[in-house]
Amino acid sequence: MLDRIDAFIRDLAGARTEDDLDGLLAEISREMGFTYFAVTHHVDLHGLAAPAIRLANYPADWVDYFDRNGLGPCDPVHRASQLTSVGFPWSRLPELIRLSARDREVLDLAARRGIGEGFTVPAHVPGEANGSCSFATKTGQPLHEGRLPLAQLAGAFAFEAARKVWRMRSPDPKPRPQLTDRQRDCVVWVARGKSDWEISRILGLSPETVTEYLKRARERYGVSKRTMLAVHALFDGTISFTDVLRN
Amino acid sequence: MIVTAEHLQQPLADATLQSMFEARKRVFVDLLKWDLPVLEGRYELDQFDDVHAVYLIVRGEAGEHLGSARLLETERPHLLDTLFADLCDGPVPRGPGVREITRFCLDRGLTAARRRAVRDQLVTALVDHALERGIACYTGIAEIGWLQQILAFGWRCRPLGLPAQRAGKTLGALAIEISRETPALLRRAGIAAAWDAAADARQAA
Repeated sequence: MLDRIDAFIRDLAGARTEDDLDGLLAEISREMGFTYFAVTHHVDLHGLAAPAIRLANYPADWVDYFDRNGLGPCDPVHRASQLTSVGFPWSRLPELIRLSARDREVLDLAARRGIGEGFTVPAHVPGEANGSCSFATKTGQPLHEGRLPLAQLAGAFAFEAARKVWRMRSPDPKPRPQLTDRQRDCVVWVARGKSDWEISRILGLSPETVTEYLKRARERYGVSKRTMLAVHALFDGTISFTDVLRN
Repeated sequence: MIVTAEHLQQPLADATLQSMFEARKRVFVDLLKWDLPVLEGRYELDQFDDVHAVYLIVRGEAGEHLGSARLLETERPHLLDTLFADLCDGPVPRGPGVREITRFCLDRGLTAARRRAVRDQLVTALVDHALERGIACYTGIAEIGWLQQILAFGWRCRPLGLPAQRAGKTLGALAIEISRETPALLRRAGIAAAWDAAADARQAA
């Protein structure tokens, strides 16, 4: 089995376009007993200007539905994959997250459009949107447990290959907004819900200085609200959940 | 700055080394809950921390540890051949040009952005070290989530076996091939800032 993954990795190294990747993924998916694959960054493609990875061979009507309803960020499979770094079969979803009525409806709809059992490999790269590589069977087809370790590796290497192709496609990525250390300190406290005045007390600055730092930080991110500033800074890893949640 | 520590007769010889072994305890024992020996309640030190181990350490201005990695010779006992041989499908890679990376450690006190910068410094130092010493291959064992990040550094990796469960964690063994091309691959993956900063510093001086 490892020979197959070695060959897959060699082929991935030569992939230059999404079409190349698409072909390689379709082939290895089939050999592992799957019909469908999806390599994706978990962001709403319509909501963000930044290019995101997305490569999938799901039925077209399912993809349309998924996009029209902006399911990227709230897809239960994606949500579950934020909580673990190990691949999981979709049958384990209820152990990972609490499924709402809406989630069950989404899973049900996917099944009715032909998507059966799945296995998702989460892919978390610090400083980037979380992503994943999923493999799925046709409705009614079972997962082959014995092939899941192979799918875990195939998914990890496929996601990395997709990142490379994506970087080649956008050779000059917009540089990530850079905050000064002081601006960053202020944003951490914004994320913790503090007002400018409170932040000024905590950091020993004047309230005017804090207001000015945060104004400049918002400008750098091109956002007008302090909540969005905190969200963007968390999203791109300028601040981390650990920074915000630590005691 | 990066320091290389090797041939240590006394692992706790100076403040930087002490701070490294303390950081290792905080990361691997306290945070990751690995079952490892702890010395004097402060230092994580095991049987592989001997005169043959080589340490690459990213040191702060006051000499404090920011990040580090331990390199083990593969012709001597190391993790992959003593504890995790079952993670390799074939024979465990060994040889004068093969080193095992263990205890890749980033200080817990670092903020997210600083943490990435220290990580990049350490990764580029590993590549520089390999090229200087004629090391063509690093091996290592990683939890599967960390494995994804190792791939994202852009260097050429191949799995040595299928991932397997050990003590509730999913682990995989990897080989990382190092060649003259590796710096360019890292640069393409955006990991080269540490090299650029070092070059800028040299120019300024």
